[in-house]
Amino acid sequence: MNSGVVAISIWRFLMIYLLLLIVLGIMKKSNIDQSKLLFIASVRMTVQLVIAGFILTYIFKNPHPAFTVIYILSMIAFAIHRVLSKNKGLNLRFKIAIGVSLSLSGLAIILFFVIAVVNQNIFNPQYTIPLSGMIFGNAMTGVNLGVKTFRESIDSERSRIEALVNFGAKPKHILRPFVNQALETAILPTLNSMVGMGIVSLPGMMTGQILSGTLPMTAIIYQIAIMIAICTVVCLAVFGSLYFGYRTLYNDRNQINYII
Amino acid sequence: MVNILETNNLVFNQMLFYPDIAIKKGSVVFIQGPSGAGKSTLFRLINNTVSPSEGKILFNGVDIEEIDSIDLRRKIILVGQSTYLFNKTIKENFIQFHKYRETKPPEEREIKEYLNICCIDFSTDTLCENLSGGEKQRIFLAIALSFKPKVLLLDEPTSALDSNTADCVITNIVNYCKQKGITLIIISHDIALADKYAEQIIMIGGTDDE
Repeated sequence: MNSGVVAISIWRFLMIYLLLLIVLGIMKKSNIDQSKLLFIASVRMTVQLVIAGFILTYIFKNPHPAFTVIYILSMIAFAIHRVLSKNKGLNLRFKIAIGVSLSLSGLAIILFFVIAVVNQNIFNPQYTIPLSGMIFGNAMTGVNLGVKTFRESIDSERSRIEALVNFGAKPKHILRPFVNQALETAILPTLNSMVGMGIVSLPGMMTGQILSGTLPMTAIIYQIAIMIAICTVVCLAVFGSLYFGYRTLYNDRNQINYII
Repeated sequence: MVNILETNNLVFNQMLFYPDIAIKKGSVVFIQGPSGAGKSTLFRLINNTVSPSEGKILFNGVDIEEIDSIDLRRKIILVGQSTYLFNKTIKENFIQFHKYRETKPPEEREIKEYLNICCIDFSTDTLCENLSGGEKQRIFLAIALSFKPKVLLLDEPTSALDSNTADCVITNIVNYCKQKGITLIIISHDIALADKYAEQIIMIGGTDDE
């Protein structure tokens, strides 16, 4: 077995961008007016990853706890910013609930994963940074989906909420079904990807490890562990965001503020 | 007779200024006035789903802001303009709404009585999603009656009904409320209904006419 990954030359690497012409062609044929977004997304991805590559190279060569901490804090800040910018109009306390839930659940899982499962120093950038990326990336997607679903269902079921409030039901009892439904919607994609894993897909982290020469069984153990960690963090972050968030929608007179 | 509801210098959001209102226990009151005068908001203020920016509402002589809001809404039931029924049978809707309120749902016999008051004569096993807007409105009213309120606030309760059905429903509800001592307050543009049943008419955004 090859002990290391084959480095791709820059010219061969650039060939991969030719595949985007296929996407562009299909978009034109289907009248999907997103060619600008395709271009921006490709450029942003390339630039962001190249910058991340330089930063990681520097951090790995000059490991220092401060670098690892700063990198993770940046990830958290970006994740929170992405969720909040996709869900404008939330009240301040709801935003705080999202920020705190996303940060604490992500940090708790990454600490457990790196220290207890991998048995490495939490400041070891080689482990903590890439694992944090997967944990916070998935938590961000989950919270985004959960909050979006919650807001949309509150909007579309306003007459139900009004009827129940007017009939003397407690806001807690009225809103909790919406929280539960949004939580289910947010964790289902993770559960579905777990179901198909190994049969339908070989996930990215495992593929990367195998390409770089790691034994498949070691890569699989990492993959199983990260999937369980992702499932847990998505569940925790979405639950925390919505459970503490929905309570900000009514006051101590049990009057509901529908504008979220 | 004592006043069950009184308002003093009621203002909402510095936009809606209400005349002082006094409503006697067990009476039938109609509220009228032009669109945008704040009739529906007055109902929301009375059952405290919103609070006034100035002034007071007294329920049995007590400021409603000092009464537990859930207890208040269980005594003063508001049936708004937009009705809502779960996609279940009529009977299951009664059960579901009572479950949300943590109260014991009525027996089948009682459900039929409430439906009769609202001029609904079909089976309690009928699926609500197949019913017309007017039928849904009457079932929603029947569910509200089953909560046994002290005050019943009806916002345009006959908006989806033809005049004969509207007359049947309002006659029965007025009789039921009179029999049970429930104070009935109705927002309606239907002058004929008001002339027939109102013991007091309150004009919002106009002049008082008792």
